[in-house]
Amino acid sequence: MTDLNIPQSNSSPAIRASWADGVVTMKGDSYPENSFELFQPLIDWVDSYLKTAGRALHSELELLYLNTSSIRALMDVLDMLEGAHVGGGRVSARWSYDSANERVGDLAEEFKEDCTFPFEIVATGDRR
Amino acid sequence: MEQDDASLDLYALREVFDRERIMLCFNGPITATLIEEIGKALRRHMEALEESPGSVADVFSVYIEMTQNIRRYAQSRSSLDLESASIIVSRDDAGRHVVVAGNVVYEGDGDALAARITALAGLSKEELKAAFKTQLRQPRTELSGSAGLGLIDMARKASQPLRCKIQSLDDDRSFFSLRVVL
Repeated sequence: MTDLNIPQSNSSPAIRASWADGVVTMKGDSYPENSFELFQPLIDWVDSYLKTAGRALHSELELLYLNTSSIRALMDVLDMLEGAHVGGGRVSARWSYDSANERVGDLAEEFKEDCTFPFEIVATGDRR
Repeated sequence: MEQDDASLDLYALREVFDRERIMLCFNGPITATLIEEIGKALRRHMEALEESPGSVADVFSVYIEMTQNIRRYAQSRSSLDLESASIIVSRDDAGRHVVVAGNVVYEGDGDALAARITALAGLSKEELKAAFKTQLRQPRTELSGSAGLGLIDMARKASQPLRCKIQSLDDDRSFFSLRVVL
């Protein structure tokens, strides 16, 4: 499987997935009109990795504002990680956000509520 | 200078904007690019006013959900031949941010949307969160390109129940507007 490298735009995050490293990263705002289209390659990649790689998968998230269809798409990705975890796979996630932007922290916490795999939320940066 | 009584008095319009504390107003055909550009301007404007990051995020979020809902609706009803939207972001007397957006809809669609908004208005914040999580897990096959989360999300962020207004235009079309107070 090839790696993913979707560049960042005004309304969509940078999405990278490395098969060799077993790492998925997402960074930036996500509010495209068609989030399902944007996230489908990632959903396919994660599905394929979890089924065939036989190794751990870590997600490194630095997402900011997400529109509701991006929230849905990200939930689908996290649900796949949860499914792998329940099935004995090694998966983990870390979501870093600027502590000044508390809404991002709240959003991350809400995602975490539905995940039982290791999910770390890290507040960073310039505290105001 | 010649005065045309029928012409629009821009100064009077400006007075209305000032009185109503309107920060942003848009009326006309809306594209994905315009939504992004206006959204960026709105964020920058609020940041320049040193609004809290939470307020900026909430207003931006409601603005995006509303305008993307309008675009999606217009695309699903191509016979309306209208991708126009009217959007106002302002502050009320108490200093709360208010986002109002409206568009032309078929009467039946407007009534269905109003019924959903009325149903959401009766829910507590906890019930809205539960409704959001239920909708989040709806199978993709049940969704028609939309996650169906926008209204619930706006209701969760709002400080008052969402309010809508339907004004009849002709036999089958109405102007539908939604007001969200943050």
